[in-house]
Amino acid sequence: MSELIAKLKSEIKRLFDEDVVDVVIAFKKADSPLRPQPAFYRKGDSLEDLEYNSLCQNNLANYLTRYPHETRIGIVVRGCESRSVNALVVEKQHPRENLFKIGIPCQGIVDLRKIVKQTGEDVSGYKEDQEKISVVFKNKEYQFDRKDVLHDSCLRCVHPNPVNPDVLLGDPLPEGDPGVLRQAVESFEALTKQERYTWFQQEAERCIRCYACREACPMCYCTECFVDHNPPRWTESTISPAGTQAWHIIRAFHQTGRCTSCGACERACPMDIKMTYLTDKLNEDMLNQYDFAPGMDDTTQPPFASFNLDDKNRFVA
Amino acid sequence: MMYILEKKKLNKILSTWAQEHEVFVPQKVEEYSQFLPYTEDSELALKSPHNTRYPPKALFLPQSEVMLKFNNRTQKYEEVNTTPKSRLVFGVRPCDAKAFRLLDTVFDAEDYADPYWKAKRDATILIGIGCEVPPSTCFCTTVGGGPFNQDGLDAILTELEGSYLVQILTEKAETLFASLSPATIEQEKQVEAIQTKAHDSMSPAFETDGLKQKLDQIFESSYWDKISESCLGCGICTFLCPTCFCFDIVDEVQRKERVRNWDTCMFRIYSQEASGHNPRPTRRERTRQRLMHKYSYWLDHIDEIGCTGCGRCVRYCPVGLDIRAMLRTANTHESEAVHA
Amino acid sequence: MHNNGHNPYKPTPMHIVRAYYESNDRSLKTLELVFDHQADRDEFFEAYNPGQFCQLSIFGKGEAPFGVASAAWEGDFVRFTIQKMGSFTQYAHQLQAGDAIGMRGPLGNGFPLEDWKGKNLVIIGGGCAFSTLYALTKHVHHPQNRPDFDQLVVIYGARTSGLCMYKHDIQSWYQRDDMEIHQAIDVPEEDWSHHVGYVPDVVKNVAPSPENAVAVVCGPPIMTKYTLPVLVELGFAPDTIFTSLEKRMKCGIGKCGRCNIGSKYICKDGPVFSLAELQELPDDI
Ligand SMILES: Cc1cc2nc3c(=O)[nH]c(=O)nc-3n(C[C@H](O)[C@H](O)[C@H](O)COP(=O)(O)OP(=O)(O)OC[C@H]3O[C@@H](n4cnc5c(N)ncnc54)[C@H](O)[C@@H]3O)c2cc1C
Ligand code: SF4
Ligand code: SF4
Ligand code: SF4
Ligand code: SF4
Ligand code: FES
Repeated sequence: MSELIAKLKSEIKRLFDEDVVDVVIAFKKADSPLRPQPAFYRKGDSLEDLEYNSLCQNNLANYLTRYPHETRIGIVVRGCESRSVNALVVEKQHPRENLFKIGIPCQGIVDLRKIVKQTGEDVSGYKEDQEKISVVFKNKEYQFDRKDVLHDSCLRCVHPNPVNPDVLLGDPLPEGDPGVLRQAVESFEALTKQERYTWFQQEAERCIRCYACREACPMCYCTECFVDHNPPRWTESTISPAGTQAWHIIRAFHQTGRCTSCGACERACPMDIKMTYLTDKLNEDMLNQYDFAPGMDDTTQPPFASFNLDDKNRFVA
Repeated sequence: MMYILEKKKLNKILSTWAQEHEVFVPQKVEEYSQFLPYTEDSELALKSPHNTRYPPKALFLPQSEVMLKFNNRTQKYEEVNTTPKSRLVFGVRPCDAKAFRLLDTVFDAEDYADPYWKAKRDATILIGIGCEVPPSTCFCTTVGGGPFNQDGLDAILTELEGSYLVQILTEKAETLFASLSPATIEQEKQVEAIQTKAHDSMSPAFETDGLKQKLDQIFESSYWDKISESCLGCGICTFLCPTCFCFDIVDEVQRKERVRNWDTCMFRIYSQEASGHNPRPTRRERTRQRLMHKYSYWLDHIDEIGCTGCGRCVRYCPVGLDIRAMLRTANTHESEAVHA
Repeated sequence: MHNNGHNPYKPTPMHIVRAYYESNDRSLKTLELVFDHQADRDEFFEAYNPGQFCQLSIFGKGEAPFGVASAAWEGDFVRFTIQKMGSFTQYAHQLQAGDAIGMRGPLGNGFPLEDWKGKNLVIIGGGCAFSTLYALTKHVHHPQNRPDFDQLVVIYGARTSGLCMYKHDIQSWYQRDDMEIHQAIDVPEEDWSHHVGYVPDVVKNVAPSPENAVAVVCGPPIMTKYTLPVLVELGFAPDTIFTSLEKRMKCGIGKCGRCNIGSKYICKDGPVFSLAELQELPDDI
């Protein structure tokens, strides 16, 4: 990792020295070694605290939409992030020419909850290498196989390598097996209707509507989210089965053809709610029915956002 | 008075109480914990080094609470019965108990009392449990509390080998433990040592002297841009916070109920006015409101910090923003020329 | 006011006795409400002070705060003038005489009339925020109250003559010898014989004397912003200039946390503040 971080620093330094970008979105060390934070570097800032490891759990593409289109943004992207950036470019949220994507092939993001489940809360130290992740809990070191503690979305990841980066740091990794994702979707589909509904209910109804899932998602950039709309109010804002279910289902549907399966929503959720199974299913459908995967380039409109005058279905007029 | 409650008798005493009171205990849900009604099968989550993730303020200020039931055609309404049956909350941590006392100054104020809050508070006995090994994310001692702080509690437990020592703090808890045997002098001494050790294990997280004045001074400064840059503007740090109390009032037409729901100053639409004007248009102003409320405005109101150092916002912020670090930065932020 | 154990979130049942448009573009509508129960009426008028507001409640639509636009002596009703904005106000505009409505209040502090006794009053309003100033003027007009105050100057601006509120009554103020009334509209219109121009400029022209006077300014934020310095220039001290603030509100009683500026809740500590008090508050408006 330290080699990669050194490379990252020198690349960022180059970008500022050669006046390629105005800001670089990356990660930095925080007080707790377990919680690296999104960071925003500008020319002249010290890069001392720059961090990159498998605990960097946010999707940095989330911050793109905060900048005016003129801002030249450098951004550290892993596979999913690079595709989120593409999807945002397609949606005209930032011009491609004002973006510089610093790509890093991704070994997956560690899900702290999987670690804590086995050690107990209040873990301190953290170390990682290619295969192993280790943490310290009550002065004792615990070691895990990387694959045992990766976030579920990362276990299902098909494209760990950044798509069309401007520079790639590190060696490309083998692409993921699309079968894993398909299988996950299929095993959910294999449940009975009642079982599926029960699962959905149990997850959705723990929701406290903090909207961290929305705020953590790069694609949820609407100035006014449907749940905030008034009048009319589209959903109950009360914590009720009707309200939370509506939130979960509509949020997922608004991601159709846009979600890059990064899992940032699920990692942000304070109530440990599973929600990627919904967007994963929609992604599978997009692939099967439209041969489309979000963010694989920065020009193709998602099927549900494109329309042809000679479309055989009359859905517009 | 101090008693010894053997761990193996815990379930028995809880079920005895449950005959007379609605008893709430911390229980595990997925990987987090929450106060839920006690049943014989409840698995108590007392072991975690810290607090329940979902805050017990919800027992008094539920996330969604029906205030009135109405008929929108006739415009007639009924009040919802606000008086619950007698309640007992077991396993409250000192930081949360202190938060209840702080919130009483809002909801049971001299000018207006909130009947929904007050009825539940009046009907509740709070049995606390101290924190023997305070985790790294807690900082109660920095903000005037402590891992065995008695503020707001009716009794407090200290864990010993195989038992708990119970300190009775108010009349409300007097009879609850009367059937137990009293603690010995040695046990009392042992507990004192445990409590002191726990307290001393926590070092100050930031300087509170002059902090309010400093925050007031830098209200217009770039400090807020800096600390809010990565904030997502979600509801986690405020919804989970034991002292955050903001709520929205909405009419749910289908269920014909006027409901209050937790709300938060971290949401964009929170202060958006009908004209479109938003006094807090960006995360800068919203983060500022959260910190200023806790570390300045509360002091103006009751001369106490409105944060009990429970550490929830630190633990669950999805971008790792740490209020302690933010306040340390405030303390060292150079005063600068005011913004245009 | 203390709620003495009763539920402050309960709206008082009321009925609309009169509902009429106040402006020719139908953006402003006045509702006059009467109490369903005598006891509620007594309690309201016992507490009410001009400058206060109420939460109007329509079950199914919610609640929204509005300034009281009537003085107690006008009769057993409470008047509100409502500008059509969003969900609540749109619906409120559909209400007719005879319809039921709820009301919580009076809320907030109102104008510090006790402190103003013996002073000259300079009342400056713009747009629909003039409603509470209308209540104040009406209050002062009552023969029993009039001796409490010295001179009375009212300056009231609206964008067009069609948007001028309480027209009929205000027209009669020109005949009164115990006050001065100055009305203004933004741009010239045929048949308009009063001032033309923005309120701050009109204030400059009229140049009320700060001598033993207090000034009250209520209007759209932009108007207030430019009028305050004019008053300061005329020699009004910050503790003799008052204004009423608006913030998004829910509870109206200092519980829901929504309407604060610094450590003040606008609903409970306001909405009326002196400029001196405002200068103490952080810029969070
Ligand atoms: C003290 C005070 C006195 C007022 N007096 C008057 C008056 O006399 N006449 C008048 O026309 N308007 C007045 N307003 C403004 C009026 O309250 C808003 O225009 C109204 O709330 C808009 O509600 P809405 O549902 O139509 O808009 P929406 O945008 O649909 O608002 C939804 C909800 O948000 C809240 N809200 C939105 N904007 C405001 C706001 N500016 N102030 C307070 N709450 C808001 C309300 O709870 C409202 O129900 C006053 C506001 C305050 C604070
Ligand atoms: S992050 Fe979790 S709790 Fe928050 S709104 Fe999303 S699903 Fe609900
Ligand atoms: S939890 Fe973190 S990201 Fe969410 S609003 Fe609070 S500080 Fe911002
Ligand atoms: S601000 Fe954070 S640490 Fe303080 S009481 Fe709230 S959640 Fe706990
Ligand atoms: S910090 Fe924000 S959400 Fe919390 S009580 Fe204060 S204003 Fe409300
Ligand atoms: S409106 Fe609720 S605190 Fe002011």
